[in-house]
Amino acid sequence: MRYSMLLAVSLLSASTAAYAETVIGVSGALTGPAASSYAPAVEGLRLYVEQMNKAGGDSREKVKLLIQDDQGEASKAATNAKRLLQEGAKIIVSASLSSTYAPIIAEAKRSDIPVLFAGSVCPKEVFPPAEKLLFCTTAFTAEYDSRAAVDFIKEIKGTNTKVGLGAMAIPVSRGGIDFAEEYAKKLGMNVVEKQIIPPNASDYMPFATKIKSTEPNVVYSWAPWINQIRTFEALRKLDWQSEFITWGHLEAENEMRRVRDRNLFIIGANTLFYEDLPIHKEIVSAATAAGSAFNPNQMAEGWIAGMTVEEVLRVVGRDASSEKILSTMQNLKVDVKGLRGGPIEFTPDNHFRKTQYYRIFRWDVSQSKIVTVKNWFKYDITATAR
Amino acid sequence: MFKRISLRFRGPSLFLFVAALIFPYVASQFQIDVATQVLLSSLGAIGLMLLTGYAGQISLGHAGLIAAGAFSVAILTKEFSSPPWLCLIGATFTGAMLGLLFGLPSLRLRGLYLAVSTLAMHFIVVYLGGEYETKRGFSTGILVDPPSFAGSVIQSAKQWYYVLLGIAIGVFILARNLARGPTGRAWRIVRTNETVAEALGVRVDRSKLLAFVISSAITSFAGGLFAYYRGFVSIEAFSIYLSIQYVAMVIVGGMGSLLGAVLGAAFVTVFPYLIEALVMKMSFLGDQAGTLFAINYSAFGILMIMFLIFEPKGILGVLNRFSKKVTSP
Amino acid sequence: MQWQLCVNILALTALYALVCCGYVLIYRVSRVLNMAHGELMLLGAYGLFATTSQVTNNPLLAITVAALLSILIGVVTYHILMRKLTGSDVLAAVLTTIAIGILIRGLVVLIWTAQPQHPGEMLGLNNPTLPVFGVARISLYTAILIGLTALVYISLFIFLRYGSWGIRLRAAGQNPLLASQRGINLHAVFAFAWAISTFTASMAGMIVAIDTALDSTMVMIGLKAFPAALVGGLDSLLGALIGSFTIALIEVLLIQHVDPLLSDVVPFLVLIVMLFIRPWGLFGTREKLDRV
Repeated sequence: MRYSMLLAVSLLSASTAAYAETVIGVSGALTGPAASSYAPAVEGLRLYVEQMNKAGGDSREKVKLLIQDDQGEASKAATNAKRLLQEGAKIIVSASLSSTYAPIIAEAKRSDIPVLFAGSVCPKEVFPPAEKLLFCTTAFTAEYDSRAAVDFIKEIKGTNTKVGLGAMAIPVSRGGIDFAEEYAKKLGMNVVEKQIIPPNASDYMPFATKIKSTEPNVVYSWAPWINQIRTFEALRKLDWQSEFITWGHLEAENEMRRVRDRNLFIIGANTLFYEDLPIHKEIVSAATAAGSAFNPNQMAEGWIAGMTVEEVLRVVGRDASSEKILSTMQNLKVDVKGLRGGPIEFTPDNHFRKTQYYRIFRWDVSQSKIVTVKNWFKYDITATAR
Repeated sequence: MFKRISLRFRGPSLFLFVAALIFPYVASQFQIDVATQVLLSSLGAIGLMLLTGYAGQISLGHAGLIAAGAFSVAILTKEFSSPPWLCLIGATFTGAMLGLLFGLPSLRLRGLYLAVSTLAMHFIVVYLGGEYETKRGFSTGILVDPPSFAGSVIQSAKQWYYVLLGIAIGVFILARNLARGPTGRAWRIVRTNETVAEALGVRVDRSKLLAFVISSAITSFAGGLFAYYRGFVSIEAFSIYLSIQYVAMVIVGGMGSLLGAVLGAAFVTVFPYLIEALVMKMSFLGDQAGTLFAINYSAFGILMIMFLIFEPKGILGVLNRFSKKVTSP
Repeated sequence: MQWQLCVNILALTALYALVCCGYVLIYRVSRVLNMAHGELMLLGAYGLFATTSQVTNNPLLAITVAALLSILIGVVTYHILMRKLTGSDVLAAVLTTIAIGILIRGLVVLIWTAQPQHPGEMLGLNNPTLPVFGVARISLYTAILIGLTALVYISLFIFLRYGSWGIRLRAAGQNPLLASQRGINLHAVFAFAWAISTFTASMAGMIVAIDTALDSTMVMIGLKAFPAALVGGLDSLLGALIGSFTIALIEVLLIQHVDPLLSDVVPFLVLIVMLFIRPWGLFGTREKLDRV
């Protein structure tokens, strides 16, 4: 045990090198069961920072990104936060499960350091009235997503329709779907089924059977991707062919290509890489050059986080102290160059964004490609989605 | 009590004790945190050692027991505003009850039914915990205020370190007395050969059940402390892998030795950081942060297998061999 | 609707039964609970993935090679890891299987990353939905799973009863000392049990991977099969079948008529109840009960 202490001490002293740089700490679910949803985001951030440092040369401060794996576990996240703060992190970026939030927030509060949630679900404290230290650039936020999806259902199916809902038995998914139920009913829809599926389920047929047995005209699911896609595929196996609307997680674009179903609708806040915008080309070339293990089209969240960090540091200028960084973040506008429908905008009251933009995609069988079904539509962010 | 420690170990024990006392003053926050985690894990490891190392039973339920203890504290705090001492007693009691409930059906049998029974206990506890969280609106977890003992609030890393050091030493002494007494001796006979034990007049099933109840009580007590230390309880923190980590502590430490339990706890807790340091040094292999967990698991598995096959006496066995080589002419 | 429920129950029964027979075989010969069974299932499925991506695209060939690989893994696992523990503490053996499980989990992610894979599509295998009695539906590979499980069980029943190695297996399970004195090579028998066990686990893993997807949730199937094995009786193949059916029935009916969340936990409640009232399961060998 003493040996490890020596090792740790030597590690720490070796890392506090002597050149001017701003330390940004990241605690992410790089490995562990949830990793596929978060690791690519962290990788995107890493590549962005690398690129940013190279481009800046000696004319500005560099960013030192310290990345720690928390495997989606609260205990590890707590230790990571302590460590990162000890190494002088001026911002902590979180890309992990919501169960890791409380310890990270607690540590950050103790040191008065801001926390940026990038890629992980936005805690309610970033919505108005926002907590001073908490910020979020993540695309999804269950309740507004559900509202947008249900509004879309109203467009394609009308309000006189039978709606089935699917969630995973984790708090954020349940919360989102509970809201969807409430909102759909308010619009006059008939919610025939709300299936909450245990996280470790292996065989989705019984759950899909239950949903199908209530004969919905359309099904909406908001949950981790694997739950969404398995529910969908099981419904299809049961020969239920109607519209299935679901959230566009990182995996969505590739999976749409794999599944090639014309009635699988993906609702998302990020543009998809098939549109091949300049920003997409940039991400792809950075990823390819670095020989990254992850698919570039899953890195948007990390890139957006990187852009946000860069903008913060650009505004702050030289000698980025944690107070300056925090006050800059209270009023920030970041142009994400087409990755989203609009900019990231923080105000003292709103640390999510002023407006949330959504788009809906599906696979077009005749053209054999992904198409946009409904172009950007938006919601102004107030305290809750109600 | 100092006299109880055999002559050979007196010097090192005193040194270790003093080192443990001054440690927080020379170490960084992070290191104190790791050390505190080690102390907390030791409690559960001691509990499991009594069950597995002495009484010879496998339990996969440690995560469930820790969860039960943590949730007892959370529920008693949130619903009944109970003071910490009462909450911890509640946690210990919950553990004992779970031990009774899940030990009773399986320990009547020879063989490894307890393993299966504790697996069931894990899933049932996880389900109940999840339902409580959802139904009572604590969807992202239950926040627990730091406890106050004897007037002052225990919050800083140093305070926790000393509190847990004291508790760990206390539990260790209690467990040692238990293990050295008639109960412990009965356990060891039962572990070696249940038929012979019965012939010698030992009430085999009662003995095993007692082991499981005591072990569970200690573990849930540790779970309660865990709730206060983290300040936060959420069911996702308690996976099967946590149970397996405790089993690893017992294996690595060396069966049938309480000191082994503590060493095992230290090793297993620090091991991931060691691996991380090692992998970082070899950073020419590329960005390894992503595969760290896989490397951890693999190294862990290999380590456990090697100890089980080659050195069932664990780290203590290895140390013993070393000291024999060093001290014998 | 009732027909679909029947199909679902049958499918889940087949899955659990195929997984359980591995537990039963190893437990029967050596009284060891192989806690790494779920991971071996995963490894088998990845074996198919590896074969598909590295060796051949021909489905039949890929599956055959992967199956042979799994048998090899079973034998090697026994020889290198479990053999030294034979005869000593069952405790140590079970702990070793736990360690093996952890090791496999780590290796799998190290070698193939944690990304979900779709070997079925890589092999170009079609998985159409077939109608059953007009109203119900089943996917082709689920049907194959049911057929395979039936085949495996029938073969095992015949083999254990009449095959020379089958008789040796039963003998080793009933009385190892006597069996070895009669000239039965216990190590060979145990290795054989492990080989069959790994083979069935791998087949289950491969079919699940082709039918749905290959990812780490597969390991949970191994754990959820425990109630099925115990309810039936840990050393009885017939018990494994009946136990699997019972648990599958309970799960599917709970999801359909009560609450899907209960489907995860009720099987374990059933397990505990079984331990209270009839610990050796429906068809297992009666164990000696100590009076508490």
